Amino acid sequence: MLKVSNLVKQFNGASGKVTAVSDISFEVPEGQFASIIGKSGSGKSTLLSLLGALDKPTSGKIEVGGHDVTKMHDHRLIKYRGKEIGFVFQNYNLVPNLTAIENVMLPMEFAHVSPNERKRRAVELLDQVGITADKQKRKPSRLSGGEQQRVAIARALSNKPSLILADEPTGNLDSQTGKMIFDLLHDLAKSENTTIVAVTHDLSIAGKTDVTFTLKDGSLV
Amino acid sequence: MLVARASVSTKIESVKSSIGNTITISPAGSRGFEGGGEPLTSEQLAGVAKVDHVTSVTQTLSDRLTSTNTNLVSAIEAGSLGNRQAGNNGVGFQAPPADMPIRNETSTSGTGSSTQITRTFTPPVTITGASVLSTTTYGGDSITYTSGEAIDVSKDEDVAVVGKALAEKNNLSVGSTFTAYGKMITVKGVYDTGNTFSNNGVIMSLSSLQRLSGQTGQVTSATATVDSIDNIDSATTAIETALGDTADVTNNQESAKQAVEPLESVKTISTFSLIGAVIAGAVIILLTMVMIVRERRREIGVYKAIGASNIRIMFQFISEALTLTVLAMIVGLIIGVAAANPLTKVLVNNSSTSTTQTVQGGPGGARFVRGVGGNALSSARSVQADVGLDIVAYGVGAAALIAVLGSALPALMISKVRPAEVMRAE
Repeated sequence: MLKVSNLVKQFNGASGKVTAVSDISFEVPEGQFASIIGKSGSGKSTLLSLLGALDKPTSGKIEVGGHDVTKMHDHRLIKYRGKEIGFVFQNYNLVPNLTAIENVMLPMEFAHVSPNERKRRAVELLDQVGITADKQKRKPSRLSGGEQQRVAIARALSNKPSLILADEPTGNLDSQTGKMIFDLLHDLAKSENTTIVAVTHDLSIAGKTDVTFTLKDGSLV
Repeated sequence: MLVARASVSTKIESVKSSIGNTITISPAGSRGFEGGGEPLTSEQLAGVAKVDHVTSVTQTLSDRLTSTNTNLVSAIEAGSLGNRQAGNNGVGFQAPPADMPIRNETSTSGTGSSTQITRTFTPPVTITGASVLSTTTYGGDSITYTSGEAIDVSKDEDVAVVGKALAEKNNLSVGSTFTAYGKMITVKGVYDTGNTFSNNGVIMSLSSLQRLSGQTGQVTSATATVDSIDNIDSATTAIETALGDTADVTNNQESAKQAVEPLESVKTISTFSLIGAVIAGAVIILLTMVMIVRERRREIGVYKAIGASNIRIMFQFISEALTLTVLAMIVGLIIGVAAANPLTKVLVNNSSTSTTQTVQGGPGGARFVRGVGGNALSSARSVQADVGLDIVAYGVGAAALIAVLGSALPALMISKVRPAEVMRAE
């Protein structure tokens, strides 16, 4: 369960204070797939980074599984991000000098999972997202965009997070691959009982999600 | 630089304990056969041996063998220098009693003081009695025995070693004898010092010469060796106090310092170069790491987003910097081992050439007061650069210091990277 109440984020810009996220409140029940749509500059990415505890809000509350993320200290936030949240980015953000399987194992290494367990889980997840054994040993540069995004999804799932945040997960992919990635996310949300929040401007995708929020100038419409 | 510095430091210590660390003790008013005064005694010098920092005391008694007390003939022709010195022997002295002929004078012409005296002078043969055989005793830089062997100076026997030239002139070989002070002396060995003056000498044990020449307990010169030239001043003062005004005490500290000086300057140059190199290395690593961190901001953001702590990321970047420095250090060590010796030699030679000329003369005087000359300098200059474990340890330390200094700022930059960076689409 993700609960956001009265969330505000302001930046100090050249022309005074800019409010990127303005008094937003919403809820996403556990295991649901929510999408946030909006134009460029509407505050989608800022909202996502606040949900992922990558940035601190100016005011407001974010509760994940009953814990208030905004009140956590830096040290706990690191653990929170590692254990409870999985990220999927538009440009995949895989570590270029690690292989697919090593990329998936990395968050588990940070979470002090034993090496054997890391490997077992990584292979399992990569199989699940459809990355064959020979491709698991390839570095990101030798994988297609769709394959890289699959690896990124496997990485996001590695620590069994309660919330997956996806920032334009299909933005860099052709429509067919984008649909496959979306279906994959959707299936995972159901099978792993993971809450997924995806930012997108692809209305065909947004229409298929359980909940859709529309952002305009930092506020929900 | 590290290797050069270490080898020069070692050399400085060794030079300090081997060159110019001797104190020459002569009877007050006397140098070799010049001057006058009363001889020193073995008891006095026993006191010197107890002075702090004095490691050994070499005692010598020197005498001249002339036609009156030996059958040996000098291998050195008088020449104009010898005749002038023989002539000078009388200057300033009162005329000897009539029944005591001037030594070495074999014939005279005329009777009055106003009459020109014609001398046919043969230089005397110097006989040395020593408590220890050293290059100073022989009066040469390198001693070789052309036949026979050195005598045991701890024994009181009628045996001697003779210089090569003297042996040839008098047809002496190992086992043959000559007379001195009315005794038959057996030749045990023939030595070659490489110089004409010293090759015309006879060396016996101190006790033998004291007995034969009737100078029991007397010593005409002594050399005290001090553990390091750093202590030579205090030791000299202590010896002066012990002997009072019965002895003239001199040391060669100044010359030795001149020999050490270029080495000290090489040490300083190496030290500063070393510090400079470490700083330069740190700056290079720093700039490289800053560049790497800037280039990999996004990657750092990803690490943070997927649960890596600042320390974990810093550790990774610092270990990358360490790997770089360790690799550089290995290359540096290999080059260091290969180039250290030539480089050190160039450094040492360049900085010591300028002082060579000023030292070469050395303190003059009799053969017993031989000081540091060219020989000491060339020894001081022959620095051997060895790469030992301690050098490697210092090298590793310097590399670690470079890596840590060079990574400090990048580490700070890492901690400042906001994980939200990754959200920025490029």
